[in-house]
Amino acid sequence: MLRFIARRLLLAIPTLFGVLVVAFLLLYVAPGDPVTAMVGERADPATVARLRAELHLDDPLPVRFARYVDQIAHGQLGRSYITDRPISADIAERFPKTLELALAAMLLATTLGITLGVLSARRPGGWIDRAALGVAYLGISFPVYWVGLLLILVFAVGLRWLPPSGSGGLRYLVLPALALGMRSIAFQARVTRSSMLDALGADYTRTARAKGAGEWAVTLRHALRNALIPVVTVVGLDFGSYLTGSILTETVFSWPGIGRYVVNAISRRDLPAIQGSVLFLSAVFVLVNLLADLAYAKADPRVAY
Amino acid sequence: MLRAPLAAALAAAFACRGAPTSTARHTLVDARDTYDPRSLDPALSTDVPTGRAVSYVFEGLTRFTADARLEPDLATRWTRSADGRVYTFHLRAGVKFQNGRPLTARDVVHSFTRALDPATHGGRAEPLLPIRGAEAFADGKAPVIAGLAAPDDSTVVITLDQPLAIFPKLLAMPVASILPADAPANVSDHPVGTGPWTLVRWKHDDYLLFARNPDYWGGAPRADSLEARIIAEPSTAVAEFEAGNVDVAEIPPDEVERWEADSARKRLLHDAPSLQLVYVAINTTRGALQDRRVRQALNLAIDTKTILAQLVHGRGTQAAGVIPPSLGGADTTRAPYPYAPDSARALLAAAGHAGGIDVQLWTGATPIMVRVAEAIQAYLNAVGVRTTIVQRDASTARDAARKGEADLFLKDWYADYPDAQDFLDPLLGGGNTGLGGNVSFYRNPAFDGLMAAARREPDDAKRDALYRQADSLAYADAPMIPLYFYDKLYAVQPWIDGFTLPVIFNGQRWTGVRIRTPARP
Repeated sequence: MLRFIARRLLLAIPTLFGVLVVAFLLLYVAPGDPVTAMVGERADPATVARLRAELHLDDPLPVRFARYVDQIAHGQLGRSYITDRPISADIAERFPKTLELALAAMLLATTLGITLGVLSARRPGGWIDRAALGVAYLGISFPVYWVGLLLILVFAVGLRWLPPSGSGGLRYLVLPALALGMRSIAFQARVTRSSMLDALGADYTRTARAKGAGEWAVTLRHALRNALIPVVTVVGLDFGSYLTGSILTETVFSWPGIGRYVVNAISRRDLPAIQGSVLFLSAVFVLVNLLADLAYAKADPRVAY
Repeated sequence: MLRAPLAAALAAAFACRGAPTSTARHTLVDARDTYDPRSLDPALSTDVPTGRAVSYVFEGLTRFTADARLEPDLATRWTRSADGRVYTFHLRAGVKFQNGRPLTARDVVHSFTRALDPATHGGRAEPLLPIRGAEAFADGKAPVIAGLAAPDDSTVVITLDQPLAIFPKLLAMPVASILPADAPANVSDHPVGTGPWTLVRWKHDDYLLFARNPDYWGGAPRADSLEARIIAEPSTAVAEFEAGNVDVAEIPPDEVERWEADSARKRLLHDAPSLQLVYVAINTTRGALQDRRVRQALNLAIDTKTILAQLVHGRGTQAAGVIPPSLGGADTTRAPYPYAPDSARALLAAAGHAGGIDVQLWTGATPIMVRVAEAIQAYLNAVGVRTTIVQRDASTARDAARKGEADLFLKDWYADYPDAQDFLDPLLGGGNTGLGGNVSFYRNPAFDGLMAAARREPDDAKRDALYRQADSLAYADAPMIPLYFYDKLYAVQPWIDGFTLPVIFNGQRWTGVRIRTPARP
């Protein structure tokens, strides 16, 4: 197990290096000049030349890349061109907010999604199943932006139960987590339902029933445990993508997370901020995938590392 | 997008609850910022949210009022030498920084030097570049700025390279703010100015909270705190307003009709006279567009009135030149190009393009700009100017236009300071082609001569006359299609007292604003 974790972590290094190369090259070929974005709508050529020299933007690509790799190897993400703040401080301020939102959305999605899935599978075609199908359709087909605004209008503006946007206590977390988790609720409900149906029809379930286990015990202890394996995959993937920035949700709800940070950095061509956050988020993604793999082993005794 | 069903949902939601009419809050909340300020370091101030926040904590020698007049701030008065090159500023007595230290002339010299210092990573101290030796200092070629002197504690003498009549206006810009010579290195995290508000907390991408400076020389603000919320999505800002959580919010163009249709909401609306010009820059160096007749034809081909009425909900004034009607030098009697497609075709034929021409119209990705671009495309196609829209993100489109790669570029322009010069010079000045803002690459010695004369002219009326002349000249040459000056629409809560929407972004510092406490029944 430990060997497995160590190997995976070592393997992450070339992966992240690849990310670094791609991010660097993509930004190099992308149109738009960071300096002209820095100075705003107008500039005099002398100022631009001064800034370009200061930021070493006119150095040859390999030199710039080598300098960047050297900096990263020393654990430095550099400073933002635009704000002059250290990128690591910016990420440290925003990532916990994104993590908070992702965890809340995931919690909501797994509890609601799996419950709906299990209830649907117990009586396929029953009213719960059909209602859950309806919810799933809505969750998958409505764009998150639209759902977000709708939630704000109904629960914040109309009913005044919750604040429309911003961050703070639990009250601020409910609506964005719901908007973000909507798709996952739907997805997990469907995946749970179909794998529960398989499991409920499987031989071991029949055996469990034959030995006299109660219906709920059969459903939860025997069928659900086996049915969860594909659900873990879905949860892992969704969680990874939530962590790497739920840009739309963060924008609609003015949530000060990393997604908005990256979008702002991109629109201003803030190269160090883009590269630094891409690198950081890739590392997070690698880590979450590793955790998901470890969770398999927990859910399925046949998987061992 | 999905505005119509949303509006319906909102109407339904509102049927059960009316808009709030009072608030228990004591903090003023402003929701006009859509992105986080760059910094609270005045030297880094290049955008509106930054400039606004900087103006709460810091002050300059001069400042703008909400209606964009220039008035003394940290300098009580100033004199100008006969040759127009030397300004002597007399500092206000008894002003203290927020750290308790008194303001002296040395702080002024230090602040300007710091803003120009390459080590500050500012990049935008342009308002200070007219000072003699500023350019050399910024390039690292001189150890000090030759044109800056503090003969005593309360006097600052500034010598310019050339006479510049509007120089005192440039000193009202955020980058020319005064900070103490002993300010901590990290100004952005620990801003210390002389202004009416002190920074309490800054949650990036979330809000900035300011507290009243009780020792403010101009009298402490009436409210005890001020919060600038950062809300990226305009519809969310409006929702926050409707929930009563914010005091001022901009009404996005898509929501204007809904607000104006409802009498309760309509009462909360406030217009802000705009210093924003929406126009199409015509690259005067490309192909057929070098011919003035072709450029005039483009102006005649577009029905700006209809665009303004249909796409912008009438929220603006049709432009016949680049100077907004609220600024000196604007000629409100000048007739805009009429919508005359037949004359446009005739002019094109006269220029030898009876078979039409092909052009690319570049634009950024904001929905309103895209809609306007589509309308322009249709009008131009109708007179034989076959138009392809090239839509890119703002930064890419701007870069292409600066490099001269765009035939036509639909864009807007905001004033940095309220003076006609800030429209004429950057947009049309021969010395500002490309990077400087003149993406029409318009060069006209007569125009540049008028602008040079205006720079030297100390008399406001005479200077305005020069501006007017320059504007007329360029309008006839048609290096652009000026469309309209957009009037922004804001909603202000009924319990807010003493707030005026400023013409220029740093013209409202909330000192006289308070929340009326609800009347007891």
